Amino acid sequence: MTIDTNAIRHLSDAQVSVELETEDMTLNIGPQHPSTHGVLRLVARVDGERCYDVQPVIGYMHRGYEKLSEVRTYPQITTIINRIDWVSGYANEVPFIVAAERLMEVEVPERAQYIRLILTEMARISSHLVFNASYPLELGAATPLFFALRERERVLDLLESVTGGRFHPNFNRIGGVKPAYGSGSTTRKQPQDLPAGFLAETRTAMDKVQEAADQLEDLVAGNEIILARTQGIGVLPRDMAAAYGVSGPNLRASGVPFDLRKTQDYLPYDRFDFKVITASNGDCFDRWWVRLQEIRESARIIQQAIDSIPSGDLQAKVPKVIKVPAGETYVRAENPKGEMGYYLVSDGGQGPYRLKIRSASFSNLSILPWILEGVLVPDIIAIMGSLDFVLGDVDR
Amino acid sequence: MPQWIVDLFSNFWVSLGGKLLLVALMIPLVGMAIGFAEMKLSAKMQYRIGPYFAGGRWGWAQLIADGVKFFQKEDIIPEEADRPVFKAAPILVLVGTVALLVVIPFGPSLIFRDLDVGVFYALAISSLSTIGILMAGWSSANKYSLIGGLRAAGQLIAYELPLVLAVVGSVILAGTMSLQGIVEAQIEAGYPYLIFQAVGFAIFMIATLAELTRIPFDMPIAESELVMGYLTEYSGFRFLFFFLAEFANMFTMSAIAATLFLGGYWLPGIPQDVLEFAGPVILLGKVFLLVFAMIWFRWTFPRFREDQLQTLAWKWLVPLALVNIAVTATLKVVL
Amino acid sequence: MTSSPSDTETSPLKTYADRVAEAVGGTADVAFGTIKVRVRAESWVDAHITARDELGLVFFSWLSAIDWANDVAAGDPLREEIEERVELISALSDLTDGDMVLFSTDLDKASPRATSLVGVYAGANWHEREAHEMFGIEFDGHPNLIHLYLPDSFVGNPLRKAFPLLSREVKPWPGTVDVEAMPGQGGDEPSTENPEA
Repeated sequence: MTIDTNAIRHLSDAQVSVELETEDMTLNIGPQHPSTHGVLRLVARVDGERCYDVQPVIGYMHRGYEKLSEVRTYPQITTIINRIDWVSGYANEVPFIVAAERLMEVEVPERAQYIRLILTEMARISSHLVFNASYPLELGAATPLFFALRERERVLDLLESVTGGRFHPNFNRIGGVKPAYGSGSTTRKQPQDLPAGFLAETRTAMDKVQEAADQLEDLVAGNEIILARTQGIGVLPRDMAAAYGVSGPNLRASGVPFDLRKTQDYLPYDRFDFKVITASNGDCFDRWWVRLQEIRESARIIQQAIDSIPSGDLQAKVPKVIKVPAGETYVRAENPKGEMGYYLVSDGGQGPYRLKIRSASFSNLSILPWILEGVLVPDIIAIMGSLDFVLGDVDR
Repeated sequence: MPQWIVDLFSNFWVSLGGKLLLVALMIPLVGMAIGFAEMKLSAKMQYRIGPYFAGGRWGWAQLIADGVKFFQKEDIIPEEADRPVFKAAPILVLVGTVALLVVIPFGPSLIFRDLDVGVFYALAISSLSTIGILMAGWSSANKYSLIGGLRAAGQLIAYELPLVLAVVGSVILAGTMSLQGIVEAQIEAGYPYLIFQAVGFAIFMIATLAELTRIPFDMPIAESELVMGYLTEYSGFRFLFFFLAEFANMFTMSAIAATLFLGGYWLPGIPQDVLEFAGPVILLGKVFLLVFAMIWFRWTFPRFREDQLQTLAWKWLVPLALVNIAVTATLKVVL
Repeated sequence: MTSSPSDTETSPLKTYADRVAEAVGGTADVAFGTIKVRVRAESWVDAHITARDELGLVFFSWLSAIDWANDVAAGDPLREEIEERVELISALSDLTDGDMVLFSTDLDKASPRATSLVGVYAGANWHEREAHEMFGIEFDGHPNLIHLYLPDSFVGNPLRKAFPLLSREVKPWPGTVDVEAMPGQGGDEPSTENPEA
């Protein structure tokens, strides 16, 4: 934290007259800060409470995924990419695996696709619940944190029971999902199915999740102070959102009914009935509201998927050593944070020649300099929180 | 009362020493009790347990342990800080609280000093804490503290006015500024002034929350934005002073509110001599209700933005308080 | 709708791709569900203006590059020798049906230069900064071409194939072994087989 001693000296020498001469102050928000969702640094020029210019400085968490994936095999890459957006761990793996499967022209069994869909939607619920926990906390209300995280434990426990990991499942395999228990390379692997009772428990848990969404809506949307802090703040017009590549709930809150689950076919979403939630104003409140409704829609999708899940294999027959034929493809998916895509360039080897990761939070964050111009300091926090980004997603 | 105790305390110096000791003990005890209440109540509201280990199953020793912890920490003063001001700030904030205890009536004859201008004195002394906060924000040589101090300056000065104007209604009804006199006036009238001064009471409580910089008015601290606002650079026992001062201030301001609006140490139907002993208990009960409400608000609401805060003070509370005074005065003259 | 087999013959996608290519004056490739339109470097900005205004591709998804090289410092080299170049790729989408088009142009390998898209899509700002620091591409007309992720003092372009991966320089990849040998001692023979099968 740099201390601008010149500013302090100037302030102490300030002549107080009828017209107060004030000087701009450069305020560093972050990289260690309670509200910046990770190590994000904002260099803000403020005059009193109004900030004139905000420059985000990112890269504190740059781990070099794209270079790393050039020296890894495809199964090894699935272990690392769920750490990009760690809040919704499972959802990061799916578009990559689909890209590899597209190039290999592998037909994924239906049951595996349904399972992928269920787990992705559970990741979405988990991510939106974290948002519901942390956003009111940044505004000052400490209690929704506990309610939302308590509900999230249900989802995380279910994820752990089937994948073994709460945040980093690594459950996808080329051709399907992980088909076996057993560890080590010496035991003979028996293909097994999902744990007994997982589907039934998930189904009941989704009812509880919908109740929790009702509770959170009462707690937060009924609170006048939250309404005063978020309505009309940080309005994002749709053309700016499109030009900057802002996607996901942020885009839909600005009135654009665009959901990649409806337009893309990476998972069988067209078999289920769900609404694309949009709002009209594009302010912070709408972004919060869209995410809350999406929790409900996700719970509905999961229940429909569980009711109609077919039986079958969990993984297609793929060779022992995965070699993806030469080709290029881009697969985009509707991640909880927005559009996540993998541009996979393969040369026929065991690993990609180039993997470009399009992460949602990178584009969502890039709009900060534009949207934070001329706002008050407390509103910086309100707007940043409503964009719901994660630094791992931004920096990759 | 055994005669020798009465004789002992009729000596001026002994009674003075006794009162000083009592005040000095009360503040930490009250602070710890309310702090503990806050921890347990907030835990209940958030589906947690709260302090659990220190002092057995109820965790009552948690704050004692915290106090000891704070005392044995290293005393860190930032290099660029203004040392005398930095050191004096927490003391000033605590003094503002302690001095308030002097005029609160705990019973018909249980008051440290019954000043004729009790209300005036109480409000004036509580403003000392404002100066302490400004000193803390300024001297810390930290931009976050500075912003917190600036916000505090605006907020605390803005909410002084509603605070003062809200009590005028009670003073008019009682006809005296002495706090003991106001309680006696309520006893004589037979009802607490809350019945006619509901608006004044509400304004007083809101202004108190703002003076204490508690959520929803904690912009100067604003933990999620300014790390800790004007308190950022304070650690160890200096932070303990601020911490204690906040809780003790909750107690004293609630006691003032209880005295002015809720009838103080009096409950209808209790004879005078019982009030000598039951008075403090009754007062503490009322204070606890008000403190509970403050804790409840803290964990339910988010914080106001600075300009919304100022709008509330200047555009809503001050005119409402003025109307309250006008109506009360008119009715007092007419009826 | 499963992960579809090669749809180079899929008509709707090919028709759309040809329409786009004709509008911007490039050539279209459709493979594996992805449309790639190659344009010349000189008409890079004009192609995007046309895409935004006439084709409704208003959503700027991403911009990045591929470094096609024959010698690689980390990872596997290419199977066949190719002409070395830096390929600049941008991805645009529309906001109604989800039609996505990748625009691609080839830049000079030694000193790649392109015109900035900041005037067309404001969101290209950060993507171009990233491409600049990772590949060394100079963007003419970019207002703020400084490092985005890497420290200001960093020298080199990490995503170039000639840039080594530091951890591999220090210690070569051990392959897939159950127990790694201590430095200097023997151990399990590293296998290149895929353990997950």
